[in-house]
This record gives sequence, C-alpha cells and structure tokens, in this order.
Amino acid sequence: MKHVLVWFHSLVFSWRHMWSEEAFAILLVLFVFTTPVFAAMRLQERSLYMQNNRPGATTTYKVSFRYMSLQTVGSVDMLFCVDPIPYHPCVTPPGLDVSNAVLSDQSGETGYSILNQSTNHIVLTRPPNLISSNGSVYTLDGIVNPTDTDQAFSIRLRTHATPDATGAQIDFGSVRGQVTNGVVIETQVPPMLVFCVAQEVTENCGVTNETRYADMGQLDSESTLLAQSQMAVGTNASGGFAITANGTPMSAGTSVIDSPQVPTESIQGSNQFGLNLVANSEPSVGNDPEGIWANAIPSPDYSVSNRYKYVPGDVVAYSPNVSLMKKFTVSYIVNSSKDLRAGVYSTTITYIASGRF
Amino acid sequence: MKRPRSIFMAALAVLVAVGFTMPAQPVSAQSSAALSIVPKKNYTIEPGKSVKDKLTIRNLDNNLPLELNLRVIDFTYTNDTGTPKLMLAEDAPQTTWSLKPFLTVPKTVTIPPKGSKTIEMSVSVPAKGGAGSYYSAIVYSAGSADGGNVGLSASGVTLVFASIPGKVKEDLKLEKLGAYMTDKSTKKADYVFMTTEEPQNIAYTLKNNGSVTEAPVGTITLKDLFGRERAINDVNPNSSLALIGQTRTYTACIKLASESVDFNGEKTEAKKCTPPGLWPGYYSVTADLFYGQNGNNTQEIVGKGSFWYLPLWFIIVLIVVLAVAAFYIRKLVLKIRNKMYGPQIKKSSRVRSTRK
Repeated sequence: MKHVLVWFHSLVFSWRHMWSEEAFAILLVLFVFTTPVFAAMRLQERSLYMQNNRPGATTTYKVSFRYMSLQTVGSVDMLFCVDPIPYHPCVTPPGLDVSNAVLSDQSGETGYSILNQSTNHIVLTRPPNLISSNGSVYTLDGIVNPTDTDQAFSIRLRTHATPDATGAQIDFGSVRGQVTNGVVIETQVPPMLVFCVAQEVTENCGVTNETRYADMGQLDSESTLLAQSQMAVGTNASGGFAITANGTPMSAGTSVIDSPQVPTESIQGSNQFGLNLVANSEPSVGNDPEGIWANAIPSPDYSVSNRYKYVPGDVVAYSPNVSLMKKFTVSYIVNSSKDLRAGVYSTTITYIASGRF
Repeated sequence: MKRPRSIFMAALAVLVAVGFTMPAQPVSAQSSAALSIVPKKNYTIEPGKSVKDKLTIRNLDNNLPLELNLRVIDFTYTNDTGTPKLMLAEDAPQTTWSLKPFLTVPKTVTIPPKGSKTIEMSVSVPAKGGAGSYYSAIVYSAGSADGGNVGLSASGVTLVFASIPGKVKEDLKLEKLGAYMTDKSTKKADYVFMTTEEPQNIAYTLKNNGSVTEAPVGTITLKDLFGRERAINDVNPNSSLALIGQTRTYTACIKLASESVDFNGEKTEAKKCTPPGLWPGYYSVTADLFYGQNGNNTQEIVGKGSFWYLPLWFIIVLIVVLAVAAFYIRKLVLKIRNKMYGPQIKKSSRVRSTRK
C-alpha cells in the first residue's frame, strides 16, 4: 500500500506545474460544453384576445406568441388554469370548457391540428418541423368562458419537439385573461362606505348629537384652547378607506394661525393650530380610537400622543382593507402668541372619506 | 296710500332692530353628516357606447335630512399606497386620464332621515375615445355648520374607473421586493432586510410607465436556508391598481386568513394576515408576476429579493450556544495540549524552581 502511495505521489508531483492554468482552462471548457444547450426559454409577445369576454359565453380565443428557440417543434401544449405558474398544481377555472374547441385559423408557424383535448387542456400537433417564423397566432373557436369574474385565468403554453407534447419542453410561457360581467364590472356586491362626523357620534353612525362646530373660547397666550369632534367609519370594500382632513388653518381675515407640518407638542405663547386622533395628557384632551377592528388606524403622524399637526389634505385615518365600524376622536389645540392680531379666528375642517384603489 | 307705506317702514325697522339686538346664537347643523355611499365603481366600455348605472346613498341620521351637493373631480395617487389624492380646487386642471367629460351625475340630492335614494349616473364614451384607463371621483358634500371656531363638514367620495378596450401601452417595472412591515401606531410602513419581528407580509413595488392602470397577479415563493418553499398565490388579494405614473407597493400576506364578518347586515369576507410561523434565518424571495389586458401582450416580471428573520430569543440562544461551544472547545484544546505536552508549568514557578 505504502508503495502504491509513493508511486502516486511521484507521478502527481511531476505534473505539479500543469495544475494551475492548464487544468483550470480545461475545466472551464468542460463547463461550457456540458451546460445544456437546449435550455427552455420563455415564449415572447404572448397575448390572449377573447372575442367575447362575458362569463360563460361560447366564444373565440386568439392565442399569440413568438417562438424563441429555433428548433424542431412538433406540438404546442395549452393548459387552462387559474394560476399562470407552470410548476404549480393546475386548478381549472370554474365554468371553462375547451373540450369542443376547434382550431379555425393559424398563422406564422402553421400545420397544426388538435391532437387531443379535455375540459381545460388542448394539444396542438404537427409533423415536427424547424421553427422558421417568429410571431404566430392560433384561433380557437367554441371555447366556453369561465364564469368567475373575480379572478383572472391563464393558459400555460409549452412547446415540444415530439408531436404529442411529451418529452422535454422547448419554450414555455403563460397568457392571461379575465371574464367581465357584460359592460359593467362590479368588484364587490354591495360595497358600502359608512361615514359620519359630528361633535359626538356613536360607533355605528346611528346617532349623532347633530352639532358640527366647536366653540373654543377666547384666545390667550397663557392657555391652550381645546376642542374635540368625533367621526365613525367602516367599509366592506376590499380596498378599505381613507379619510383626509381639508380646509385652511384657523384664520381671521388675512391673519392665519400656523399649523405644525410635523407632529409637535403644544407650546403656549406660540401661534399653533393642530390636531391628532389619540388620547393626550398634555393638555388632557381626546380619546384613542374605539372599536374592535384593528386594521382601521390613524395615520402615524396623527397618532402620537401629545403631538399635534395639521396639513390640509393629509390622510388622518385609513384602513387597507375591509373594516368594521370604528370611531375616532379628533383633538384640536390652539395656542396664540401675545402679538397675534386681534380678531375672530375660525376654520371649517372638511373630512372626506373615500374608497381606495 | 301713505299709511301702508309708513306701516311697512315701521315693521322693517322693528325687524332690523330685532336682528341687531338678538344675541348671536350658533346655528345648529341643518343637514345630516352621516351617510353611506358606494366607494368604488369599475366599468369596461367600448368606444361609442355608454353605461347607465345607479348610485345608492343612505342617510343614517334619525332626525335630519341629508342634503348633498355632487360634483365630479379628478384624482391621482398620494404615495405608493391606494389612497387617492383628490383635486378639490375648482380651477384644478383636467388630467389626461379624466373621466369628467364622459361622466354625468345630478348636482344635488336630498335624502330624508333614515332614508335612502338611488340616483342615476351615466358614462358615455365617444366613438373616437382612445383605448386606456380613465378615472375620476364623485364627491358628495354635506353642508358645513356655522358657529364656533371650528366648523365640521363631512364628504364622501366614489372612485369611478372606466377601461376602454383596445391596444394600449403597458409597462410595469419591478423596483423592490422583500419582507414588509405595515403601518403600526407610530411606525411607518417600510421594507425590512433584517428584522427581529416575524414578517407577515411580502411586498413588491412596481412603477407603472404605461397608459393604463394595472392589477398584477402571480406568485411569490419564499425559500429558507434548508430549501423549504412556501408559495403565496394571492399576490394582489384586493385587486389593487397601480395608477398611471404611480410607483405602487403591493403587499401580500405570507399566510392569509379569511373571515366572514357582518357589516351593516351584509355578510362580507374580510382577509387578514396571520403569523406565518417562520423559522429564524435567511429567506430568499422570488416573484413571478403577470399583467396584460385583453388582446394585449401578457407581460411577465420575475424578481428576486431576500431578508433575514432573527428574533431576539434566537439571537440570545445563539449567543449562549456559541459561548458554551467556545468554552468546551477551549477545554478540549487544553485537554489535548495537556496530553501531547504534559501539564504546563507557569513560567514564574519554573524560574523559581531552577534558582533553587
């Protein structure tokens, strides 16, 4: 054994100068040549045109794509699924039926006929032939559209060298389509946005105290004037809601009490008009949002206790999705400096509740 | 003839006097400010065709009628979320995607207390209307109250989207992909690369350079260090849109839970994220997104991202394990050294022993 090892060492040692550059170069060349030449590529310029996109209608589909690999192709596999990802399990779009589809027209790469078909699967076949043109269109008549308007569906496409869509795929890709309910598409039935504003409101907007103003009293440089109002909001729309606060800061003629542009503490003796949507202790005013639904929240800038801000048009509260009714209490503070011009300072804040897109 | 005139003048004088001497009372709100509206409408309309639809508005107030002024305004995006930026100014310029010229709604509507009213609206697309997405908003304004320093007013908004089919320019670019922390009470939503808190969302940011709104679909796959995969198949659960020119961040729950809730007597499905039960460590994220309108190319976006999830307990356990391992390795090294070279003698004691 020792003898063999000594022999091996003497042999390898004599080659030691070759190992570095030459061996490395050979390895690289091997890698280049052993990389699979027939790597699958994505079909390009893929599109689907549905002549009639009403749910359940029997119509014509035009499937277009450009072959990418200039190789021999004998079949095109079309699998109709909800999900476009080729390696995911295929869920047949509800209502779809391609079992009676007929290949009525073809352009570009031609010579195809339908080899076999089922509810959600069509295999186009032809004598294997080298790809010579790029863009191709295949028209399929007699396809029954899916019925679900809420979700898109896909056709997973694969090309094969064999005429029966077996063996390794050459190119692949998916096209998408969606059925719509006639001319009008309703995203959610029935979507509602419920909103109310007053000095006091109940969480379900059923009762308000019907007062939509707040008298804050006499401005004084040594005290902070306070007020609060309430609003309740909720929606069953999947996109949620947003509430913006709009209107100029407090003013008397041309004299305006400035508003902090960032959350700022209340400072007596300075000109300051701000608001927030949480409970505060300095000064004591307001309440935290009420309601069990957690995804409706005040915007971060308006949810810092004892910090106030007001920028017209800012979103003060929102929900990113469905939200049951939630009540927000808005706290207002006004501070004034000694040299603030005398006058009756007032403002109207318009709260606008909208859906989200 | 003189007598009636003097009587009239006297009455007018009394009225004016009363008007000036009466104490100024704040006026209570005369219109309700509690309403229910439709938040969003979507239409697909071919050029030369029109849609007639209905909008139902409810007055939730028990006592006051709801008096609303309606007007159509344009809107765009506020930021990378789905919050609209309403162009409320009367002189706001019309946007290129404005639906205003095609949209007709009544100017006013009055709804009795606890009542509802259905109003007619229509969208008419001219025969030469170019393919693409058009959108505007209907604003329902309740009157504002007089009196006090701070007056309050409430308005509701319905967003109206119309898609005119045909050849359009579609172009989405993927800008970001990774773990995402949504808005917390005082923390703004953002992407995270390393986090001690278990991420519940994966987000992707797309820039829409096309001439239509887009709502991508597809799949996001998470892979941990051991190669275990977790697929998110609902990458746009709310069918959210990227408006024209918008950079939009879409969030998708790693683990999504649906719940049926009762909203104003209607059953509604609410979706929310639940803790996905991720193991600590490194995760790679792969997104495979598709978009494209009927008759246009189906476009595909493939992107990759990554993040580290290192909870505090894991960091502490890791430090303890490393410390214990270091202790035992040192002990083992000393043991081997003792065996190989025998017990080591301190230099000082060796010096002392040689002197003796």
